[in-house]
Amino acid sequence: MSNSEEPKVTTAPHIVKEELMAAGNWLKLEKTTYVDRAGSTRVWETVKRTTRQPNTGADGVGIIALLKRTLHKDCVVMVKQFRPPMGCHTLEFPAGLIDEGESAEAAALRELKEETGYKGEVVGITPVTCLDPGLSNCSTQMVMVNINGDEGENINPMQQLGDGEFVEVILLPLDEFQVKIDDLMKKDKIAVDAKVYIFAMGMVQAFFKPRELPVLKQ
Amino acid sequence: MEFEGSGIGEECGVFGCVAAGEWPTQLEVAQVLTLGLVAIQHRGQESAGIVTSNGASPPTYATHKGMGLVSTAFAPEALLKLRYGNLGICHTRYSTTGISELQNCQPFVVDTLHGQIAVAHNGELVNAQALRRKVMRHGVGLSTSSDSELITQLLALTPPMEEQDAPNWVARIKNLMSETPTSYSLLVMFKDVIYAVRDPYGNRPLCIGRIVPVSKLHSSGAGEEDTEGWVVSSESCSFQSIGAKYYREVLPGEIVQISRHGVKSLSVVPRPEGNLPAFCIFEYVYFARPDSIFEGQMVYTVRQRCGRQLAIEAPTDADVVSTVPESATPAALGYAQQSGLPYIEVLCKNRYVGRTFIQPNTRLRQLGVAKKFGALTDNFAGKRVVLVDDSIVRGNTISPIIKLLKEAGAAEVHIRVASPPIRHPCYMGINIPTKEELIANRPEFQDIAGYIGATSVKYLTVEGLVSAVQGGIASHQQDGKMMGHCTACLTGKYPVELEW
Repeated sequence: MSNSEEPKVTTAPHIVKEELMAAGNWLKLEKTTYVDRAGSTRVWETVKRTTRQPNTGADGVGIIALLKRTLHKDCVVMVKQFRPPMGCHTLEFPAGLIDEGESAEAAALRELKEETGYKGEVVGITPVTCLDPGLSNCSTQMVMVNINGDEGENINPMQQLGDGEFVEVILLPLDEFQVKIDDLMKKDKIAVDAKVYIFAMGMVQAFFKPRELPVLKQ
Repeated sequence: MEFEGSGIGEECGVFGCVAAGEWPTQLEVAQVLTLGLVAIQHRGQESAGIVTSNGASPPTYATHKGMGLVSTAFAPEALLKLRYGNLGICHTRYSTTGISELQNCQPFVVDTLHGQIAVAHNGELVNAQALRRKVMRHGVGLSTSSDSELITQLLALTPPMEEQDAPNWVARIKNLMSETPTSYSLLVMFKDVIYAVRDPYGNRPLCIGRIVPVSKLHSSGAGEEDTEGWVVSSESCSFQSIGAKYYREVLPGEIVQISRHGVKSLSVVPRPEGNLPAFCIFEYVYFARPDSIFEGQMVYTVRQRCGRQLAIEAPTDADVVSTVPESATPAALGYAQQSGLPYIEVLCKNRYVGRTFIQPNTRLRQLGVAKKFGALTDNFAGKRVVLVDDSIVRGNTISPIIKLLKEAGAAEVHIRVASPPIRHPCYMGINIPTKEELIANRPEFQDIAGYIGATSVKYLTVEGLVSAVQGGIASHQQDGKMMGHCTACLTGKYPVELEW
């Protein structure tokens, strides 16, 4: 018994060529030629946004906004809207693309104000993270925002939606986040964004079972 | 101030909250209840209890009770199990027994034919003995000696004419009210509603507040649609600390239904013909917090008026006016304003020294009191001092204070008491010492000044107290037999026939 006859060739995977196959106003489809770990050249179909700004790491921002009111439960600000690619309504965090010359934090506060009417302040930001890496190079930064719900302007917030934008704001108490999402899913046919559901599961874990491993079945 | 030392039984506080609008609510009901209780902590420090309901059919009640102050009894972890409450009631208790009796802690929760009810009670039933026998004759066993359990059992009895499936709580509560005239301020929680009840004589206080957004609390802009919840409390001083606006008093004899839809008066049970209300005058004199409002007037203002009246009735040839901290301060200020004498501070209070009644005998009690105060010597050395106190019951709290002031250099110490002498027992919830212990009934009272070591002693007259209290009540309330105060401990005239 012996090891294989020749030493295996290993390469760092890398992209060789990107060829445009189709482009629209917002997205483009590219044929990505790359070399895999074993040294073979392969092809991947890649979706990219046409809107990505230079000098920014991410295409857009997602906002985890906590509405804080005196003597009230902290609520996460969610948005429900019709998403043509899914063919149904979705439950997501407020989100949007980063404009030219804008920082991620500024984009987050602007999008939050436009989509929900709330004025918040940034209390944290994640590194640039990828959204659907098998499909596209789209990336996002999640921005943590606190909203002072006692302030006048945040008591009856006014959305500033664009033409064709129909966004419903939903407030869900943080300490019952996952339960409330499950309730909404039972009531209507909605698709829940993965980031939202994972966050909800994390909250349940942290709040109720901080000393338990998440995978143990009860 | 002496009530602090002697300890008052059954002088409790009740508080309740119902979240308005959609349920499950985003209002932190358990937190509101806790903060409300803390604000009426002065009405009871022995123990505290909360019961919340999720308002569902059938409802889930969650209870937490603990001994000691609210901050000790309700740790944040304990409040976790209460977090699904959409409404709740709570209670602080003040007892003289000093025994740890968690089962005596309110609110009481019992199963009735129609579901669970929770009851919180402030007051003492004047005919408790007879009622206990009556209830036990019905086959009900009682597990505590408390009136509040008795009330809960009376509410659980099926009234005549009630339908099989529809509980008629108004009928049940009216049934209770017909069985016992006074004294009780009650919160009865059933499923998704709180019934706030005040006995027909209005002996103990009860008022309602409306929770509005914090930014609208002090403006006049809070409309009906801004209501986030309703609260009901023994005293209105609790409203500010939970962001509620004062709404109104529960009237004597009234049954008010508080639900997420609002406040509804269901009934007002009248008093027997010709009888006036009997609001405990000692709420004004001592028990209530100065910033609470009764009958449309602030307690502080009434105490100040008592001080003024005292200065009119019992002027003194002296140099300065001062107070026994802190409860007598409004009266002392009133006395100073009326008499024109300068107001100074002569005593420094150690707020970390506990209630003195725990010590077993009189001598140790007097030493305990002495440790509670220090003399601000520089302020009054060589001067003739008028010292205003809000009450003298046994006389053994004030004597060491007088001794302290004299030894620190006061030339004269004149005691002016902003209430009349207490001569009679109270059966409505104030545990006044036995008749023999009351200084006003003892032979020493003939020379009370000599007995307590003061240069002179003068009390406010009953007429003076009553005029100071009633003078501030709006004139429309004074007519039509709608105003009256219980002065039984001062005059021996009880609002109702007592059982012997």
